[in-house]
Amino acid sequence: MFPEIFAAVRELQLPLLAALLLMGAVAKAAPRSQGTGVTVLVPQGWRRPVTVLTCLLEVVLAVALLTLTGPLGEVARVLTVSLFAVSVVVLSVVRRRDPEAGCGCFGGLSREPIGWRTLTRASLLAVAAAATVGLAPNGWDVAATPTLTHGVVLGVELLLLAALSPELREALGRTIGADSCALREHSPRRSLRRLRRSDVWRTNAKVMLSAEPEDTWRHGCWRFLRYDGMRHGQRVDVVYAVRVGGPRRTGVRAALVDRQSGAVIATFGAVTTLDLQGPPRRLPRPRQAAKRDEVEGRGVARPDTLAKEPPGEAGRGMPGDPEGERIQV
Amino acid sequence: MSVIMDSGRDRRRFTAALLGSTAAPEPTPVHHRVVRGVVVDATSYMLCLATPNGEERFLYERVTGFWRGGEVLPSELRPGDDAVVLCSRDGRLVAERVWAQTARASGVIVDSEGDNLEIDPGHGRPRLTVVLPYRTSGRVSVRHPRLEPGYLFDVVGVWRDGEVWAARPATTQPPHPLDSAPRRPLTREHSNTIEGIATWYDPAWGRSAHLDPRAHAAGAAYPSLDRSGHEGRCDRRTPCLPLPLLSTGATLSMRNDCTRETAVVPVIDCAAADSWFCDLCPSCGTHAAGRIASLTMISFVALGGRLEAGCFNATVTVANQEG
Repeated sequence: MFPEIFAAVRELQLPLLAALLLMGAVAKAAPRSQGTGVTVLVPQGWRRPVTVLTCLLEVVLAVALLTLTGPLGEVARVLTVSLFAVSVVVLSVVRRRDPEAGCGCFGGLSREPIGWRTLTRASLLAVAAAATVGLAPNGWDVAATPTLTHGVVLGVELLLLAALSPELREALGRTIGADSCALREHSPRRSLRRLRRSDVWRTNAKVMLSAEPEDTWRHGCWRFLRYDGMRHGQRVDVVYAVRVGGPRRTGVRAALVDRQSGAVIATFGAVTTLDLQGPPRRLPRPRQAAKRDEVEGRGVARPDTLAKEPPGEAGRGMPGDPEGERIQV
Repeated sequence: MSVIMDSGRDRRRFTAALLGSTAAPEPTPVHHRVVRGVVVDATSYMLCLATPNGEERFLYERVTGFWRGGEVLPSELRPGDDAVVLCSRDGRLVAERVWAQTARASGVIVDSEGDNLEIDPGHGRPRLTVVLPYRTSGRVSVRHPRLEPGYLFDVVGVWRDGEVWAARPATTQPPHPLDSAPRRPLTREHSNTIEGIATWYDPAWGRSAHLDPRAHAAGAAYPSLDRSGHEGRCDRRTPCLPLPLLSTGATLSMRNDCTRETAVVPVIDCAAADSWFCDLCPSCGTHAAGRIASLTMISFVALGGRLEAGCFNATVTVANQEG
C-alpha cells in the first residue's frame, strides 16, 4: 500500500510541476510584473529581457516534463530541480537586498514581500522535482491515466500549496472584489445594453432620430449618452444617464433638452437606486382601517387640520413624500 | 480647443439637467488678477505685456517678486519672454509677482545623455529635452537620485531655445521605475471629497502666449479621465488616489488648502503623467499623497499657487448625485 502511494506521489509531481511552471510563465508575461523577484538584482535595462528569458525557460521545462522520457526527460527533471533550488537562493538574496520586494513567482500577483511561505514553497517544489528523477512515464501519460490515489494526493498537495501561496489572497481580491462604481472602468456597451432594456428608452424611441449616440461621457457612477431627436418639429437633445453597476433594474434617467433654447422640456425616470426596505405591506381591510383611524383621531377631519396630512402617511408619488417629489414626468 | 470647450459646456449642462446643479456646477471665471502674455518691454519701474486684449502695463511695488529660474531683477526680463503676472489685490495696475519663461518637465525619463534628459510627458504630447545646468544639478539630483530611463522626473525650470533648463525639483522621485509602481488597493466606499495635491501644466508649451488661446484656457487636466468619452487616447494609469472617473467637460470644485481659495474648474484634458505620480507636496503641512489634477498655469496662479513651487495641497469635491 505504502509503496503504491509513494509511487503515485512521485508520478503526480510531473503534471503538477508542469502546470505550475506554465502558470508562472503566463503570469510573468502579463504587463506590470516587473520589479519583483530576480529582476530586483539586475539593472533597469536588463529587467525585461531577464523576465522574458525566465518565461521561456519555464515554458520549455514545462513542455519537457509533459512530453519527454528517457535521458532527455531526466535532463529536464534535473534542470527543474536546479531551477527551483536556484530560485530559493535568489529569493533569499532578493529578500536581503530589498525586504519589500515580492517574489515575482506569479508575476504581478506576487507583490507581497518574500516571506517564509514563499521560500518553503520553492524548497518543497525543488524536493518534488527531485522526486521525479528516474521515473519511467512522462507527465502527459500520468495526467491521461488518473487514479483515485492520484486524486487524493493531488487534493492534499493543492491544499498544502494553497497554504504556502500568498498570491491566492491577491487573486481572490482581484476577481471577487470591485471598486466603488465611481472608480470602476465600465464598457460603454454594457451601459448601452442596460439603456436599451429600460422603459425610458422605449418611451423616447419615437423622438430619437438615430440609434447611435452622438456623444458619450462619464460622471462618476453615471454614464451619459446624448442622441439627436425631433419633437413637434423642433430639434431636441435626448440625454440618458445610465448608472454603472447596481442592480439590473436600476432606473435610467432621461431628459429632453431643446437644442435652440437649452430648456429642459421633460425628464424621465425614477431616480432611486435603493432597494425597498421590505416587501410592500398589504392594506388593512376598510373596516379595520376605519377603526384604526377612529382610535388615532383621524376619522373626522377637523377644520384646522384639513389641509395637513400626518407625516409619513402620504403614499408614493403624493405631495409630502420626499421620494415621490423627485419623480417627474 | 474651442471645440472641446463647447462640447464640454454642453456636457456640463446636460449633466446638471439630470443629476442636479450640484453635480456639475458652473465653472468660475479666472480671476482678473491673473494675466498671461509676452513681454514687450521691462524697465525698473514698469512691465509692458502683449496680451490678447492688447498691450497692458503693470507697475511694481516694493514687494513685487520676479522669477526667471530664480529670483531676478525686473530689468533681467527680456522682450519676447512668456510671462504670467499676478496683480495685487488693489487692482490690475500693480504686479505682485511675475513669472517669466516658466516651464515644467513632468513625466518619465526615456533617454539620458550627460546633462541632457529626454522626458515623455505622456498622452501623446511632444517629448521635452531637459538640461540640468551645473548650478542646479545638485539640488535636482538630491530629489531625483536616479536619472535613468524608466524613472519619473518632475522639475520646474525656464524655457531656453526650446529646451527646459531645470531650476528646481517639483517633487521627490519614487524609488521604483514607473513599470513597478504598486497598484492602488480596491476602494469599495468612495467619498465625494478627496484630498491630494494640485499641480500645473502649460497647454501652450510657452509659445506665443499672447495669441494662443490654449495659453489662456482656464481648467484642469484630470488624471482619472474616462477612456471612452475622450478624443484621442488618454494613456493614463490608475492613479493612487480614489478619483472618480470623469470626462472632459466635468467640473471640479477645488480648494487650495494653503490659502483657502476656492474655484470651480472645468476638466479640459488628460493628465497622464499625474496618474503616474503618488507624491506629497511640502507647501503647507502634510497632506494626502497623490495628484488630483494639473491646473493650467492661469488657473493655478488664480487659485493662489506659486508656479516655482509646482504644487499646492488641495481638496476636490465631485458631487455624484445618487438617488
